[in-house]
Amino acid sequence: MFCEKSLNLIKELDRSTEAMPAFDDDGVRQVFEEMRGLYDQNVAAANDSTADPDGTAIAGIAIRHAALERNKRCLMAYVYNRIRKVRNMRWQFGSILPPEIKANLCEPEIQWFNSYSKTLALYMKSIGDQGLNLAQDVKPPKSLYVEVRSLTDYGKFEMDNGEVVLLKKHSTHLMSRAQCEPLIIQGILEQITH
Amino acid sequence: MSLCQSYVPNYFSIADILATQERVPCKFEMQVKHLGFLDPGSDKRDIEIGTSIELPLWMASVLNSQRPSIADVGLPKVFKEAYRDIMKADPCVVDLHKLAKYFYEFGMNLCMLKHRESAEIANVLVESFKQRFRQILDWAQHSTTEVAESKKLDNTEKIIYQMGREVGSRLHMWLTEGGSLITAADMVIQHKKMKLTQKDLLH
Amino acid sequence: MKEFRPPNFPLTCRESIDVNFNVLKNRRPLSQTSCYNPDLDTMEDTFDDEDFLSDQEDISVQKVLQTLEEAWLNEKFSPELLPSQEDYVHCMMDQIQQMEDNLNKLKKTDFRGEVHHMELARIRYIITSYLRTRLDKIELATAHILEQEALRGPENSYLSEGELKFAKEFLALQESHSKQLVLRHMPSPFQEFMPTQQTLVPNLRSHVFLRAKKDVQSVVIEGDRDNRDEEVDLDENSQHIMQYQPIATYLKDGSLQLI
Repeated sequence: MFCEKSLNLIKELDRSTEAMPAFDDDGVRQVFEEMRGLYDQNVAAANDSTADPDGTAIAGIAIRHAALERNKRCLMAYVYNRIRKVRNMRWQFGSILPPEIKANLCEPEIQWFNSYSKTLALYMKSIGDQGLNLAQDVKPPKSLYVEVRSLTDYGKFEMDNGEVVLLKKHSTHLMSRAQCEPLIIQGILEQITH
Repeated sequence: MSLCQSYVPNYFSIADILATQERVPCKFEMQVKHLGFLDPGSDKRDIEIGTSIELPLWMASVLNSQRPSIADVGLPKVFKEAYRDIMKADPCVVDLHKLAKYFYEFGMNLCMLKHRESAEIANVLVESFKQRFRQILDWAQHSTTEVAESKKLDNTEKIIYQMGREVGSRLHMWLTEGGSLITAADMVIQHKKMKLTQKDLLH
Repeated sequence: MKEFRPPNFPLTCRESIDVNFNVLKNRRPLSQTSCYNPDLDTMEDTFDDEDFLSDQEDISVQKVLQTLEEAWLNEKFSPELLPSQEDYVHCMMDQIQQMEDNLNKLKKTDFRGEVHHMELARIRYIITSYLRTRLDKIELATAHILEQEALRGPENSYLSEGELKFAKEFLALQESHSKQLVLRHMPSPFQEFMPTQQTLVPNLRSHVFLRAKKDVQSVVIEGDRDNRDEEVDLDENSQHIMQYQPIATYLKDGSLQLI
């Protein structure tokens, strides 16, 4: 059956809803090969149609064409859905990706991530007179200060007012919400509930 | 961030691609040279007139739309009259996950082919959904853990069920904690879990 | 009409914003800030700009905030991108900046400072949430939105300048990425990047919850397989759930609020 390899790429994405699988270079290359084969067959059949009086070559051409479109669709969807995940990474991890995550991206995807970060930064700077960081204030603020616990030995953290805090694993602190929000989102701190 | 709009199939939609991979019987009305291999049961070079092959919907719709039509597209088992009657009798007991994982998507795509029985297919989709939805709503609202029977849901219903559960838990969080707890990003949590399991595997 | 009060804003903060505003008014009157006022549309053309603005000194930060809150809710619940309220955003951000400058002059032990800082943080949340929602929509349906924007013409734009630039760059990014990774390896007739055929289009038939801010007559609801077309009247303050498409124009002219 045609388009089995491109379908596999899609199934791969369907299976992994959370994590990002490594870019399947081989799989993609095989789809290109199939497309080339289909296209060449169609060109040959079209050129031969003068020798095909009952017009049934058209049926073969139409089917192969459908397979070509299908392969294109699967490849475009593969690329698109992966890039949506990369885009979400910018909002969830910030502008620096953990190396394990980066290892699963292909080079163009990493370049896309960097270009997207840049475009996003330009836009955020253009808001109002002084710009606005849209990655902050993810939830409605309910208090100015929050109690947090450090999940790792992060080390020294300098706050906006110059004060330096030592974030050791399991240490608790009362910090201004605005300061610690990015650290919580990145998983370095966690908010303490009562 | 989730946006407020109903799902609509689009070019990039994984669900739609997988739904259009479902097979339908196609009865060929003309000979097609060199493509005999599409019929796994045949070792002929060509497809002969009158052969019936189960082909994916994306191919079948092309066969159907050519003029003159290359093949006549029939109904897949799950939308034939016998199964439609089963769905009409009691839609809630049917295991759609086993029968047709993309029941609704597949059905809607089929209707777009303007088959002679499209109206009946549309009916069975709407009626089944209405009845099964009540059950899904009940499960989402009244149970904090995932109900075992939810494994019988098709893809669309599963998504709705998950959304219902998520909304329920967010409401619960808002009522108990005020809902303003800042949490680590989903991907970050996932990433940490993966790192832990990798560490465990190494020891 | 009863003033819209979102449940989370404490009463005291509301009033204190007005007090602060009066303080600000003496330092930098609103007439010198660029605040768009929709009421201008109803004024006669005989007034010139100067008189407009001095008449509008009474436009409170309250009204700007209310408009922003409504715009934020509408944007959150509508499937399509709505006209940008960037003038209000800009205006509000200026106000926030001024108030923060003021608050920083207060003694650290002054309790009022904390309460006002809280209020400002919450207003900033509304703005960031509003702009993030718009950005999400732009990223999902970039080609479609740019196409619609071009059709509407520069007088009638829905996107702010920054958003338009972002949208174009984002689409260009998509195109170069697809070409680089897959399109250039395909047989030549299939190499074309076709954004408008492949773009996501907002589903205007999504259902929304709405409240009518005034009486709305004769909303036509398209019939479907089972029903014929219907015409309904929406009474002021009534709430409904219906398809977005028939009410889109009423939303944009301010007769309805999405909830």
